[in-house]
Amino acid sequence: MLVSFLDSVKYVGHLVPISFLRIFLGYYYLQSAMLKYTSDFLNKPKIAETISEFLPLSQAPEWYKVIITTQMIPQWQILAFLITGFEFAIAISYLIGYVVRPVAVLGVLLSLNMIFIMGPAFEDLNKTFLALHFVMAWIGAGRCLGVDYYFYKRRRGLWW
Amino acid sequence: MQHFIIFIFSIFFVLVLSFFNRKSVVDETQKTLRVYGYSSFTSKLGPGYDLKKKFEQICNCRVEFVEAADSGVLLQRIKLEGATLGADLVIGLDQYDLQKALSEINWRKLDFSQLEIDEIIRPALSNSYFVPFDWGVIAFVGRKEDPLPAPKSLKDLLKPVYKNKIALMDPRTSSPGMQFLSWVYDAMGKDEGEKYLEQIMNQAHSFSPSWSTAYGFFSKRQVSYVLSYLTSPLYHQMIENNHSIEAFKFSEKHPIQFEFAGIPLDCKECSLAEEFINLMLSDEGQKVIMNKNFMFPVIKSAQVGTPFESLAQFNHLAQFKIPSVSDVDFLIKSWTSIRRGDKNAK
Repeated sequence: MLVSFLDSVKYVGHLVPISFLRIFLGYYYLQSAMLKYTSDFLNKPKIAETISEFLPLSQAPEWYKVIITTQMIPQWQILAFLITGFEFAIAISYLIGYVVRPVAVLGVLLSLNMIFIMGPAFEDLNKTFLALHFVMAWIGAGRCLGVDYYFYKRRRGLWW
Repeated sequence: MQHFIIFIFSIFFVLVLSFFNRKSVVDETQKTLRVYGYSSFTSKLGPGYDLKKKFEQICNCRVEFVEAADSGVLLQRIKLEGATLGADLVIGLDQYDLQKALSEINWRKLDFSQLEIDEIIRPALSNSYFVPFDWGVIAFVGRKEDPLPAPKSLKDLLKPVYKNKIALMDPRTSSPGMQFLSWVYDAMGKDEGEKYLEQIMNQAHSFSPSWSTAYGFFSKRQVSYVLSYLTSPLYHQMIENNHSIEAFKFSEKHPIQFEFAGIPLDCKECSLAEEFINLMLSDEGQKVIMNKNFMFPVIKSAQVGTPFESLAQFNHLAQFKIPSVSDVDFLIKSWTSIRRGDKNAK
């Protein structure tokens, strides 16, 4: 696996700049997830407070607002766990380049939701992240400097 | 796909496992009082921070502030979160919010009729659900060294010399802005008031979304006058040792603004919330509020021997009233239509 990791630079070297972007994004998400884990994000309804403050101002469709208000705010702890867990998943996947394509699709969905619920201050950032995750999924950014290259060589297929 | 599912499952498994094994960051046995308030009250510079410290020393509990930009957002949040997350105490509603708050949220009855308060405050205690904790007199503020003659009435503000020199606030988002709007209608009546507002649209420098933005224009000398409080000059005197700021007495009676606290009916720590209100209304609490908010205390003894005492003698005051929801709607609709009709809107 280590050999194929190094081999990837030789055979898909044109993806190295994208790999740097991927690793940087992974580092960003790791910081964000660690901050959530070490603070009281999982213990206290901070996410519910943020949503209630910004959802009425958001451009989200009405059905989405209804779901968030009736289902997610009361179940804020599950939502907090899902957000933290997905951020850890994106962080680890991007840092080591493992299952990057499906995780990037997950990142697209996460960013899409964050655009609506995190308020105007984070809207542009999440739009940018959405585009970056989309690019990661499209290119298959785990094939260079990542574990995905090992599986890509042996199994091929859509997911690597 | 199998790799992906196992990967995601492992991440969540480790996260849940480590979450339940970690040492709790907070003492779960301690009760938590959740206080909803506007940001300038709950911030470190506001009275909320000192009150929280004092209260935590005596209550064996934690005070958690939940901030909102203004009272409109505050009510919205309590409506959405209240029952689920538990709002124990709400601080910072003014008289224009009370009827709306009563119609949208159920509140716990409070009885503070026995408070030793100034007679000016007595009408504010007429409702059964909210208790006032400070009050202020709306006034225009300017600099003594300004070469322009000091305005003496609302109508003076329309004089050409004051064009683009006055910072006002939008009543839809700012409570002093709403006070100004009501002041105009109370002083001039409906028809004349509307004409006045049409003229002031072109006269004012700006209609800011908040008091702090408008006051910023004044502090940076972008305008000569700003709608603020009678006590605003005291801030400059006590904090900056600047004695050049003054508030102007107008021929029209000045409106009074009260700030209220209330306890929602679905509070979780209701008795702690009442104790917190008691602290706010104690001599000690009132002094904190007075010195940090620069508003008059409702308990008269708190201002004895302070610069606030002489200012509180100001008696050219409009009668206090709690407007109905339809009154507030009328004011907002009237403002919006006048503003929309103004082709030179800023």
